[in-house]
Amino acid sequence: MPKVKIPRKSTSVDMTAMCDVAFLLLTFFILTTKFRPSEAVTIDIPASTAQIPIPDKDIMMFQIAPDGRMFFGLDDQNTRLKLLDRLSTQYQLAFSEDQKKAFRLLETWGMDIRSLPEFLDMEPEKRAGFNQPGLNIDTTGGQHQVEDLILFSRQENNNLRIAIKGDKTTEYRHFDKLIQALQNRKVNKFNLITSAKTAQE
Amino acid sequence: MAEMTTSDSGSHKKGGKKVRSKKMSTRVDLTAMVDLGFLLITFFMLATTMNKPKTMEVNKPAKEDIDKKDEQPIKMSKTATLMLGARNKVYAYVSPDAIEAGTEISLDSLDYSPTGLRKFIQRRQKEVQEQWGDKDQLFVMIKPLPGSNVKNIVDVLDEMTINDVKRYAILEPNDPIDSLIALRTGQSRK
Repeated sequence: MPKVKIPRKSTSVDMTAMCDVAFLLLTFFILTTKFRPSEAVTIDIPASTAQIPIPDKDIMMFQIAPDGRMFFGLDDQNTRLKLLDRLSTQYQLAFSEDQKKAFRLLETWGMDIRSLPEFLDMEPEKRAGFNQPGLNIDTTGGQHQVEDLILFSRQENNNLRIAIKGDKTTEYRHFDKLIQALQNRKVNKFNLITSAKTAQE
Repeated sequence: MAEMTTSDSGSHKKGGKKVRSKKMSTRVDLTAMVDLGFLLITFFMLATTMNKPKTMEVNKPAKEDIDKKDEQPIKMSKTATLMLGARNKVYAYVSPDAIEAGTEISLDSLDYSPTGLRKFIQRRQKEVQEQWGDKDQLFVMIKPLPGSNVKNIVDVLDEMTINDVKRYAILEPNDPIDSLIALRTGQSRK
């Protein structure tokens, strides 16, 4: 009887298809990833049962740290530039091209508007480590810095929604100041940012 | 380098035996590339934040609306007032329609747990249902004191959604009763 010879098969597999799939998925994840913007302060948001996801664009974000410091951020870089132009006329500040470029990339910031030029002049690394004092919400002497921010941003972009991101432990008196400023600019509708609560009824 | 010189010398020899380059397989081992691809996928998958934060919409009555008092004031017996104080306390009371000298108001000191605040709201809904025939008539006034925090407000607004309270508002604690309660419970109003 002739011996049945089993032909030896190569162990190498065609990897082309697998490679295609891998890179397709990779492309998908690269495109959908949105890296968390660098934040001026870490904020631990409260949980709620609210189900509405935060919109992707046209957001004006106020962040309130536990110590009451307030930070401001616009999501759109062009609106940021327009806002800076308005601020420079309002507060008689001249911004150089470099400062404008730095402001355009600034996700959130919180300080007296008049100290902005100094802050924008800092080296990027130094700026990241700088302890920002928070927006000046004080209305003494007839100044309305926060109100101006709200007004100008909304004039530059009508569709802006206002989101407030407050830390769990931020006291209401800080929160109230911001609401007063918003209401002075006839904003009666805003969004509180919360994280989804895990089911526990 | 050595190969270069041999092939060079080969091309100089004219009429000699044609040097056939060895046919190489076009197949490339893709294993390493796939490995790299999946490594990067893993990284991006882990770096992506999947659960986006949610938002909670808050509507405040416009300031002009508060100032103009020509609207019919709401019957106090349809209301419930929640005062949010420091140290995660809620003070809940129902003010009577008319305050007389002998009027007593029962004040409940609650917490934000389902057995505290939620029980109170459900009880009040039942009372309004019995008195007015419609539990949606209940109007909850939320009055945060300066010592309360953002989490408290979110919790209260959450309870409104959970218990399906249709009408509620965030107001300032400027009623005389509020001052009295703040004083009695030792909560600061400033």
